[in-house]
Amino acid sequence: MGKPKAKVDEKECLACGGCISVCPQDAVSMCGGRAFVTEDKCIFCGICIKTCPVGAINEED
Amino acid sequence: MKYDVVIVGSGPAGSVTARFAAEAGAKVLILERRAEVGIPVLCGEGISQRVDNWDMLEGKRWVASKMDGAKIYAPDGTLVTLSKEIAGNETGYVVYRDIFDQELARRAAKAGAKIMMRAEVTGLTKEGEKITGIKVRQFNEEFDVEADVVVGADGVESKIGQWAGINTVLKPDDLETCAQYTLTNVDYKSDYAEFFIGKKIAPGGYVWIFPKGKDIFNVGIGILASLSEPGMPLKLLDKFITSHPKLKKGEPIRVLAGAVPVARPVETVRDNLLLVGDAARHADPITGGGLTTALEGGKIAGETIGKAVEDQKFDKETLSVYEAGWKEAFAKKLLRNYVVKDIMLDFDDKTLNMLADSLKDYKFEEFSTLSLVKALVLKHPTLLMKLKPLLRLSEKSTKKE
Repeated sequence: MGKPKAKVDEKECLACGGCISVCPQDAVSMCGGRAFVTEDKCIFCGICIKTCPVGAINEED
Repeated sequence: MKYDVVIVGSGPAGSVTARFAAEAGAKVLILERRAEVGIPVLCGEGISQRVDNWDMLEGKRWVASKMDGAKIYAPDGTLVTLSKEIAGNETGYVVYRDIFDQELARRAAKAGAKIMMRAEVTGLTKEGEKITGIKVRQFNEEFDVEADVVVGADGVESKIGQWAGINTVLKPDDLETCAQYTLTNVDYKSDYAEFFIGKKIAPGGYVWIFPKGKDIFNVGIGILASLSEPGMPLKLLDKFITSHPKLKKGEPIRVLAGAVPVARPVETVRDNLLLVGDAARHADPITGGGLTTALEGGKIAGETIGKAVEDQKFDKETLSVYEAGWKEAFAKKLLRNYVVKDIMLDFDDKTLNMLADSLKDYKFEEFSTLSLVKALVLKHPTLLMKLKPLLRLSEKSTKKE
């Protein structure tokens, strides 16, 4: 089991870009009109999860 | 493909930069990731009527309604009013941001700028350390666009700055995380922008109600990301609406999420590159408003690029005319309001009630955050001591605000 990572629920994401602007690792990008976490870069600081205004980012093992 | 300048993003800052660069003779390309300029709308859609003086937008198709002032409600309901009658100067519009953006893009196109849709920028191209253009993906094709200047107009989530070595990462206490409904069939008459503050209503931010004409209202919330929890903006907004006697009977015709930088501006210039609009963190840290600064900054950026193309000089020093220009135009206001934001965050609801009570009959000299801040400092010199030197600094530029 690896460390937990942030994962965007693409059905819930409204593409505001907030998560991308606060990510200290440049691990989140916009992809096809939805935010997307590059797993390799994610250090699971949880900042994007807290920031999401609609609760579309969750923890994934 | 070779252009003088390639602009990433067709929002207001990007299109205005494009227009003024093209009018000065530059060969300009705008790249837009989305399938339609201005859509989806990610904005509260309020703007100062000062925009009328700038020859940025033709016609009035982008205006949804005019506002006569602002009403600010303290946590206990105490009302502070900034009205047109008292202030006597321009107040604000509620705009259709999709039409607004498309009108600015039209002006850019009219000036000769090219626009490419569904074009996602995936990186910068470099020769050694020198930025030479960008990498693009469009309809499953990948190609490079060469340019002497790359402009990052890519919004709050800007990547261009980071790729060029400018640290644009926002701390969670420098970002407002937002949600907004456009409600229809609301049986309510208001010509004012209404703001509701308080720790329980919107931690580190506020709820807004903007009248959009007829029975339509933009009702939104911004919460400081450092004080937020997953999904909190939407939850608190729902709570606000269901407990509001008039709004609760409305029905949504649009929901959106948003993110607004409430930070200090960043460095905006490198050799062959500059940042404009939200990408440059040019939004007001108190109100979150970023449209006027995007337009003002975009014009200065476009003119600077025009001159650079004429002289065929694209180094940091040449492009720094832009940085000096926006600093002259609005840096003092942004920095002052950043300090005000910090001070306000320390105030509990009781203090906010007390402040509102002291201003409830105040005759404001003009419709601006500056006149509000001035009044607060006048009434509570010790509480707002930190602001005094900043206010004196900004006196000179008051007329421009």
